[in-house]
Amino acid sequence: MALASPQIRAVCVEANEFPYLSNKFRVRGVPHTVINRKAAFVGALPEVDFVTAVLEGAGVMVDGDATPHPDPPPQGGREIPRGPSTEIAAS
Amino acid sequence: MAVIPEQVRQQLRDRFETVLTGPVHLTVYTRPGSSRLILPAGVGCATCEDARQMAELLRDASPEKITMEVVDVTRDEERALNDGVPDVPTIAVASDSESPRIRFQGLATGTEFPALIDAIERVSRAEHGLSEESVAALARLTEPTEVMVFATPT
Repeated sequence: MALASPQIRAVCVEANEFPYLSNKFRVRGVPHTVINRKAAFVGALPEVDFVTAVLEGAGVMVDGDATPHPDPPPQGGREIPRGPSTEIAAS
Repeated sequence: MAVIPEQVRQQLRDRFETVLTGPVHLTVYTRPGSSRLILPAGVGCATCEDARQMAELLRDASPEKITMEVVDVTRDEERALNDGVPDVPTIAVASDSESPRIRFQGLATGTEFPALIDAIERVSRAEHGLSEESVAALARLTEPTEVMVFATPT
């Protein structure tokens, strides 16, 4: 994806080696993807859904979404609330 | 080194010989001399030396196509800051030495190793593998966007 867009920086993090990051982003399973350090989803997504999640995480309007994706509301003090994957699955 | 067995190294040489088409530049951000000294609060770096050796083996598998640079973050902290590399070891993959945007943070062993090989091959061939629709959608990104994927070797 980083090869397809000059705006994207792709970082693969070895979760066990950087526990401070795994804890910060509430990593409980892998693959765990974090977009711009706020939106997140767990597991592998089909390409189209992955792209949509990245766009939404970056605040870019996607088709069928009239408003930019807002920052997820805080949930019980979690630093990284539920990611966009749930919304994608429900759409 | 023990990170990559000789059999795998030969497989890499054979594969890179046929697959790689363009140049690939590996940048290894490391903190040398700290592999034997693990201190609290992330001061030490248990895998930096292995990461450096892994990058050297990848380069040696195709020295005509792959170049490699080691950045000692203790001596060149500004470079690490400019490149946005907060942690070591980090292996960055790019087609040239300009700010690389594909990074592997931590030692890419186990299931992560094929991903590193795939990144090298895709960079070399300039093949992102995405559909035209995905590329068009990603073209709507106007700001730098970080996609961070947590993985484990198993």
